Amino acid sequence: MSRLTKLISLAALLVAPSMATAAEVNVVSWGGAYTESQKLGYGDPYQEMSGVQVNWIDYSGGLSEIKAQVESGAITWDIIDVYARDTIIGCDEGLFVEFDFDNDFPAGVNGMKASDDFFAPMPSDCAVGNILYSWNYAYNTDNVNFDGSYPDSMEDFFNPDKYPGVRSIYSSAMSNLEFALVADGVPASDVYDYMEDNGIDRALDKLTDLCTNPNGGCIFWSAGAQPPEQLVSGEAIMATGWNGRHFNAIVNEGSPMKMVWDGQILDYEYFVLVKGGPNQEEAMKALQYFTSSEGLAGSAKHIAYAPFRISSLDVIMADEPWFYSEQAGAVEIMPHMPTAPANTENYVLMNPEWYADNNTEINDAWEAWKANL
Amino acid sequence: MTAEIRTSDGELLSVKLKKVERRRRTTAFLLAAPLLFFIVFAYVIPIFQMLGRSIDNAEMNSFLTETHEVMQTWDGSEMPGEDVTSTFYYELKTAVENKYHGKIATRLNYEKGGFTSLIKKTSRKLKNFDENANFLDQFIDVHKKWGDIEYWLALKRGTDAYHFRKYLTTFDYEQKFDGSIERIPEKLRINVTLWLRTIFVAVGVTFCCFILAYPISHLLSVLPTRYSNLLMICVLLPFWTSLLVRTSSWMVLLQKQGVLNDTLVSLGFVADESRLELMYNMTGTFIAMTQILLPFMVLPLYSVMKTISPSLMRAATSMGATPFHAFRKIYFPLTYAGISAGSILVFVLAIGYYITPALVGGAKGILISNRIAYHMQQSLDWSLATAMATVLLIAVLVVYWLYNKIVGIDNMRLG
Repeated sequence: MSRLTKLISLAALLVAPSMATAAEVNVVSWGGAYTESQKLGYGDPYQEMSGVQVNWIDYSGGLSEIKAQVESGAITWDIIDVYARDTIIGCDEGLFVEFDFDNDFPAGVNGMKASDDFFAPMPSDCAVGNILYSWNYAYNTDNVNFDGSYPDSMEDFFNPDKYPGVRSIYSSAMSNLEFALVADGVPASDVYDYMEDNGIDRALDKLTDLCTNPNGGCIFWSAGAQPPEQLVSGEAIMATGWNGRHFNAIVNEGSPMKMVWDGQILDYEYFVLVKGGPNQEEAMKALQYFTSSEGLAGSAKHIAYAPFRISSLDVIMADEPWFYSEQAGAVEIMPHMPTAPANTENYVLMNPEWYADNNTEINDAWEAWKANL
Repeated sequence: MTAEIRTSDGELLSVKLKKVERRRRTTAFLLAAPLLFFIVFAYVIPIFQMLGRSIDNAEMNSFLTETHEVMQTWDGSEMPGEDVTSTFYYELKTAVENKYHGKIATRLNYEKGGFTSLIKKTSRKLKNFDENANFLDQFIDVHKKWGDIEYWLALKRGTDAYHFRKYLTTFDYEQKFDGSIERIPEKLRINVTLWLRTIFVAVGVTFCCFILAYPISHLLSVLPTRYSNLLMICVLLPFWTSLLVRTSSWMVLLQKQGVLNDTLVSLGFVADESRLELMYNMTGTFIAMTQILLPFMVLPLYSVMKTISPSLMRAATSMGATPFHAFRKIYFPLTYAGISAGSILVFVLAIGYYITPALVGGAKGILISNRIAYHMQQSLDWSLATAMATVLLIAVLVVYWLYNKIVGIDNMRLG
């Protein structure tokens, strides 16, 4: 065999496998423990079942990247995991496919049609529910500064004189404004009514008190994996974050952390289908599986986020302990859900409409506040 | 007589020479042409296209062309008449049918907050409109904001084909609806602070680099080759490492439980409770940026110092100058070219930095480039982002122009 034919056959060998798995779907999500739960929960099972390769891509939120892809005509993303606010904005701008909900998505295992099986109505026609998660805060239990008394309310987070140390908070306004108002004495259920009435200034003043207090101080996180890291490294003494990430650090990594659920913000997360994506048809099929009763229940096997479908909870409860990891073994997951009764004694329900409508003012005020800190 | 000189094939020598010269020039141009085209198409044109966005509002204008035209006759002193409201109704109806009303809402929201919900709600209710009744009343029935004249004024100027208001925002000014230009409320001011901070950091980092690089470069230039090569590799090694890796390494070193603090605590210089705050503040920004940009100062300084003959200093001292005096009068002035080249390089790079300060600087590390990135990626106000980028580009060009005026760009040597 001449050298040339060898080379050609080698090239053919290399190309062949990539041709065999031509069908693929690119799913974009938030990375870390969360993407891992999605991959294990419904990505891999779907790939095995259908033969369609599911690729997971990390991002840190926002519509800029997909907007840039659409504008340049080179769309590479099919499915994106987004905040409710972004489903509204993106749907308005025509970036995402609008669903015919009950026809596009299968009924639950309990027989309820899709639109009844999901906990809450979708914020826009382009959204299909994925999880319910919580913004809460956690602290490092090993920390010496606590002197035997541990924080147990949102007020404690904003009280650096009682619990001295640096706080880590989210780098955007989202969650911080709500937490500040709750700590300032606003009833959690009325937070957004107060926002309309000079609430942003009030919240920012409260945050200024915390961040400029010599006993306090603030650092900012932008990726979900950061808060547990900062708590463990001692960079921050308390950190707001997503309950699933805190849970992962506590259960899987054995970090000395505890979550405080008082004043938590209950929020929904959604999938959207990109209009004109590279594999739109395959992606739609994948999405149908991801958001089926079993699919959504699957991700809860690996992270403490509640599935958006009521019927998924039935699947989980029928088979507790549902959560499983190598480090922690089998764990009953229901008490760790953001929706568990013990965790919802005092909570804020996220209002994405308010964010979508007042996006510019909120961000301008927040960014100016942060820069002048 | 000279005109009579001819080549062997009978041509005039001067003509022949010119021909040869022209051929040579054409060849040179053709060789450089691919690069030139590449730069023009992949660099210059996209940049100007992008910069054009800072004033370009043509898309918005095309969505509501007729409304915009009709509105030119409306002076804005009282609520708009039916000519305006009916035109707007029909154009919005087309927008809803073709699904670009979302874009209209987003763009108008930059002009005045609250437009997103206003347009959305109106679009949903548009099909209930009675086309024979008063349009303004029906708009107000849908949403009371339509009764506020400011929304109509915002609609009028929001549909201009181009405007320069984003440049006002760049410096924390705004144009009121009556045309007057005022500073924005104090709580919302951000950009001027960041411009000043950016310049402060860039100048500071340049200075720190200079202080650190001068002795190193001098040492490099006087050491025997085998030692200086080793030292040069030490300078260049971090230069070859990815920026993100170096930034993350600094985070490991500088954080509260990091290597540096741990060492200081174990040596007893610092108490465990009062570990130094080296990160998420200005200190971190300065340390990391200085280290990262140091090679850009060392290389030009070294290349200039290498050419200074040691005999000059010997001559000065032999004529009675103290070492300090000789350094000040002879050596230092000879390194001006290196200092200026290094400074301009470091300054220009520092003024556009944003990943490093954002990672190690925390809230205090937000510079103007972070703002540009923020408007590109988060707020999606690309016009504002490009307006800021244009100002930054002009600032850099001014620095370059000054450098050329004072030192001359021919004197720049990089190694």
